[in-house]
Amino acid sequence: MIWDILIRAFIIGALLSVLLSVISYFVVMRKMTFAGVGIAHSAFGGIALNFLLGFTTYAFPLFFSIVASLIIAFMYKRGNMTEDSAIDLIFIFSMAFGVFILSISDGYSANMLGILFGNILSVNNGDLYLSVVVFIFGLTFMSYYFSHFQLITYNEELAEISGIKTTLLYYLFWLVLSVVIVLSIKLIGIILVNAFLVLPTLVGLNISRNYKGVVLTAAISSVLSIAAGISASYALNTPAGATIVLAYVTIWIFSLIYKKIKT
Amino acid sequence: MIKFKNINVKFNEKSILKDINVSIKTGEFLGILGPNGAGKTTFIKVLLGLIEPTSGVVLIKGKKPKEFLMQNKGFVGYLPQHAIVNWNLPIRVIDAVLIDNIKPFGLFRKYKKKELEKVHYWLEKFGIENKMYNYIRELSGGQQQRVSLSRCMINNPKLLILDEPNTAIDAVYNVKLYDILKEINKEKKVTIVMVSHDIGAVTAYVDEVMCLNVKIHCHNFANNIDYSTVIKNLYGEDMNIVVHGDECKNCTVNRLKQ
Ligand SMILES: Nc1ncnc2c1ncn2[C@@H]1O[C@H](COP(=O)(O)OP(=O)(O)O)[C@@H](O)[C@H]1O
Ligand SMILES: [Mg+2]
Repeated sequence: MIWDILIRAFIIGALLSVLLSVISYFVVMRKMTFAGVGIAHSAFGGIALNFLLGFTTYAFPLFFSIVASLIIAFMYKRGNMTEDSAIDLIFIFSMAFGVFILSISDGYSANMLGILFGNILSVNNGDLYLSVVVFIFGLTFMSYYFSHFQLITYNEELAEISGIKTTLLYYLFWLVLSVVIVLSIKLIGIILVNAFLVLPTLVGLNISRNYKGVVLTAAISSVLSIAAGISASYALNTPAGATIVLAYVTIWIFSLIYKKIKT
Repeated sequence: MIKFKNINVKFNEKSILKDINVSIKTGEFLGILGPNGAGKTTFIKVLLGLIEPTSGVVLIKGKKPKEFLMQNKGFVGYLPQHAIVNWNLPIRVIDAVLIDNIKPFGLFRKYKKKELEKVHYWLEKFGIENKMYNYIRELSGGQQQRVSLSRCMINNPKLLILDEPNTAIDAVYNVKLYDILKEINKEKKVTIVMVSHDIGAVTAYVDEVMCLNVKIHCHNFANNIDYSTVIKNLYGEDMNIVVHGDECKNCTVNRLKQ
């Protein structure tokens, strides 16, 4: 029984974190890590609504995150409000809304902890199937358009002149990002899911100078952190999400030492 | 080849470009001069269809830029201002030179021999063939510009648009750079539109000069232009005197040289 839970959690974590690693490359290269924070936190309102209404679907959290990511993306594109202040606004609104809703539903503090820091016992087979589907679609999308995103990141005008539909790809990117983040929340939690938008590429950049190496290292290190984190959380009886992130930070420290030794 | 008809661009009610009427002929080497904030980059972006003008039309061979460039991939080589390119990407020079030759599933891409040869040819032309496998963020600004120039040329464009190509390039190489551009223009018959601060170099190398500061203040053959007037016009106080060539029909004509 416990093995089922651990293995299921590992598979879900591995699938989602590999996809997040590829996404993370562009998030870090375009310096948009704060956007991930905003999107993850905006799911809070939706999850709180689930508790109030007694649902367990992804519909509400997804709706909140996707709307938030589209607003963030739109503000950023328009450029008349800095992206950061837009993210701040959405972040604040959704957290306040979530706390407000949770406080009028039952089991306020227990639910709150699970949402913020994840709960390995809450992931089920439905989450597993969904993760497989999202992994296949998401990874195909990111691999197919990798060069397109690389060019957009290098210089957006060149991408436009090459005939790439930069705006459409840009919004699709945010859509995929919000879906993966929402799926990861059950396991890792809202507060820590952002680690997977930053750490994979930071580790990758410490190990490799080449984008292929960076993405590959990112993917491998994130699967390692999931495996190490879940094992350690079982052995030490600690929350999985936090343990996974601690494992990842440890990997990052080793990668930094590796970089320092090499240069 | 290119026609600007009554182009006006405004950002927040402020005129950035005003009543621009210009033709650029096939095979021409046009230099655009003007102070910072004069609208030179905006002019180029309108030409490339990256900015929609507030009024007026730009036509490349009779078509709107976006439509034309969509149907004629590789027709234009564009060098954006150095500062707006992300030089932090973990890619090598060869990746950067081929970066707009987009392929699906590019993460796993292997370059063909022919691509490698083309890259080598242009890197050698711009004198950085020994940097082919170096990482772009580890190059100097001048070397990065030469990577950009190689990228512009890799598909043998018919039109080369350069936004301050001499940024970060040292004085010695600058001369070399203009020689190469001149050669590309004359031997490969590539039309070149080049924005530059470098009045001296522009005088010596281009065929025609256009002085831009919101309006077109002069447009003439390079050797017909009275540069003291140009400088006074663009950088000084008197903004009314205009020297121009035949293409500039809407300018107030005030021929200083006949
Ligand atoms: N997207 C924009 N929004 C508002 N103003 C802009 C925008 N882009 C350029 N400008 C303004 O237009 C003017 C011309 O800019 P630009 O074409 O970049 O000049 P140049 O390339 O000659 O230095 C500047 O005053 C600049 O502030
Ligand atoms: Mg400019």
